[in-house]
Parts: sequence; C-alpha cells; structure tokens
Amino acid sequence: MNLQLMLNDEAVSRDVDPCARLIDVLRDELGTKGVKEGCGEGECGACTILLDDAPVNACLVLAAQADGCRITTVEGLSKNGELHPVQRAFADAGAVQCGFCTPGFVLAAVALLRETPNPTDDEIVDALAGHLCRCTGYRKIVDAVRLAADEMAAGAGQT
Amino acid sequence: MNYVRPKGIPELLDALQKDGASIVCGGTDLLVKMRRGLISPRSLVDVSRLDALRGIEEAAGEIRIGAAVSENEILKSKVVIERLPLLAHVLKRLAAVEIRSRGSLGGNLVNASPAADSAVPLLLYDARLHLVGPDGERWLPIDEFFVGPGRTALAAGEFVREIGVPTPPEDARFFYRKIGRRRALVISIASLGMLFRLNGGAVDLIRVAAGSVAPTPVRIHDAEGILLGEALDDGRIREAAQAASRAVSPINDVRATATYRRQVIGDLLEHFLTQASNAD
Repeated sequence: MNLQLMLNDEAVSRDVDPCARLIDVLRDELGTKGVKEGCGEGECGACTILLDDAPVNACLVLAAQADGCRITTVEGLSKNGELHPVQRAFADAGAVQCGFCTPGFVLAAVALLRETPNPTDDEIVDALAGHLCRCTGYRKIVDAVRLAADEMAAGAGQT
Repeated sequence: MNYVRPKGIPELLDALQKDGASIVCGGTDLLVKMRRGLISPRSLVDVSRLDALRGIEEAAGEIRIGAAVSENEILKSKVVIERLPLLAHVLKRLAAVEIRSRGSLGGNLVNASPAADSAVPLLLYDARLHLVGPDGERWLPIDEFFVGPGRTALAAGEFVREIGVPTPPEDARFFYRKIGRRRALVISIASLGMLFRLNGGAVDLIRVAAGSVAPTPVRIHDAEGILLGEALDDGRIREAAQAASRAVSPINDVRATATYRRQVIGDLLEHFLTQASNAD
C-alpha cells in the first residue's frame, strides 16, 4: 500500500507492507532512528511516538493503521536548531545516561505537558509508567519533567 | 498477511468469513501474540477506525460504548466519568497511557484474559455485549461471555459491536481493589470489586466480582446470596468472605500461589463489607 503520513510536520509517502510494524517503517524506511526498539511488546516505552498527538508504542501499531495520521518522533521536537524545553530539561537535570530510553520518555513528557501543563509528581509518574530506564533510575527523570513544566510556564509568561 | 479495512458492518462480516481472518483494533494484545508466534492470522481486519464500532452514547438507562473506542477516549467521556465512575477508576490504572491510547474496551474483553482489568467493573454493572454475526445480532450478558482463558462465547465470524452498561442506582456504592506486585503496568494477582447498597439496615443490592482467581473473570454469586436481604454483622461478613474464598478457583503461577489468591479474595471482601457497615 501507499502509506501517507505527516511525519514531523513533513508530508511523506512510502510503499509499505500494510501489516509491517510502524516502528520498522519509521526506522528502516523513513530514517527516524530516534524510535528505539526495546522489548517489542509495549512494556518498555522506548518506541513511544505521538500519533495524532497521543503517545503510543510504535511496536504495537500496524503501518496501515497510521495512514493519514500525524506522527511526531524525537527528531521533530527541536525547532530552528533549538531543543524543545523538555529535551533541554532532561539534559539540565541529568536525566540521561545511555540515552536509549530518552526519546520515549521525552515524548511521553511532551504529551503530558500538552494536556497538563502543571502536573503533580503523581501525574508525572503515571504518565511515565509505561517507560523503563535501566541506567539512571527515575528520580532525575521526574525532576526533568518538573523543570520542563516550570520553564515552559515561565516562557509562556514572558511572551 | 493481508490487511483489510472494512468501511461498514457488511464489509466487516464478509472479511471475517475468510479463513484465518482476525480482527485487529488497538493491537496491544494481538501484535504481542503474533510476535511471540502464538497466532499467525492470514488476514488482519482493522476495525480501529470503523465508525459503526465507535462512539459513546446514553440510551434507555444504559451507556453504550463502541467496542473500538480506546480506553483513553472512554476516560475523556464526561458521561462515563459521571455515571460509571468505577469503570473510569479501573481504566485509568490499566497498563500505561501508551497502551490506553490504542487498546479498546472490546479488545480487552474479547482477549478474555482471566485478569482483564475492565471485566470486573463491567460484571458489577451487569453489562451486556452487542454481538453481530453472519446469522444476525444478539445481546449477551457479560456473565455469559467469558468461557475460559482466551475463550469467549463469540461464534465464528461474530464480533462485539458495542458494550451496553446499565447506569447503576446513584446511591449504590462501589469498592474495588487490584492486587499486583507494583502499581504500573502490572498484570493483577487478584482483583475484587463490590457494588453495594444498604436499605433500612439490610443489604438490598449486592454484586461481587473478581479477576485473576478463576479461568475467567467471575461474579461470586455464593457470597451475594449470603448477604442479600440481611443485616451486616461480623458473623454474616465472615460467612460471605469464606464463601467467596471457596467459590473461586485460582491457580499457582509466576505471580502468586492459589492459596494466596483464595485467601486475599476473602480478606478483601471482609474488608469491603467492614468498611461498608462502618460507614452507615
């Protein structure tokens, strides 16, 4: 089938097997390697993308099911060479070690803050519950989301 | 593997006639089973965007939820939050947001896991399922839908179109607890729910349902029978709790032992009933 996507604000199309996993199409056909495969079963969250703004596991979506949808991967977050505030906060808070799980955590945090700009710690933990990190532990990741929320609120106040 | 995306119910029925056809909706269970080689469908029939299986509406004392509506969509429904608070409570804690974005209520039910989180509240609500198949349509009480682990009463070529959930009396109270090893993304060791109303000192509405303690999610009628029409004293509460422990048929598995599960079901019911009697 001819798959049409709005990938990171750019219209793309590819001939793909409709039953291919979306994660494979994104990595192997479209080059967005920020979509990581950890478990392949929806347990680890490394392959999280935003599908029409909703966080989903790209390993559990068929390519055809995304036809006509908007997709955001970690590659689509920075604008004009500037990191997204969530990405910057992860760096500033030291919420990154090997980095494999980071794109998934960052996208889940972006989705959370879009709906809940000032989340409680419990809301942050709930939003990140589908993600595993085997390096840093989770404290600094929660701190990073908190920091991003504060900086985005401050940024919004300045404009 | 073929991919079919039917545009309406006639096309869906046709697609399901094909040998080796399987419905796919959110894919959160199906794609895992395919990856593990447990199933290898010849064609995938995608209902995730089929309008006939979507939408939430209130009709004649019940709320009808399309089988393909995702768990997150249900959680955003004002009518569900207000009228079916226990369903909202349970779905909010089901897996993780990435799964809830895709996973559908119909999918959680047809997968027929003994641990299906949505089943216990739907059993307490006395929900019914609207089934459509080549020989016509029917409504089946959820109590009769689950047949065994991974097995349902669906006939060949039949599918769940929607779930009808009667709105409970406003003065009914709900109790629910899921036991797992951690809070997030956990398959339950046991879960117990109770719908309860006291009238003039006697129990006049009681439903008890449990997950992960039998081959299917189950109503515990034995315990209900002991409580209905009776006052709640310590003896009655203990008797109902013991009946619940006896009524379930749990197994030993990697998550817990059968003995533990049997015990915890009785303990939870005793706890709920004690809470219920103290509050009145």
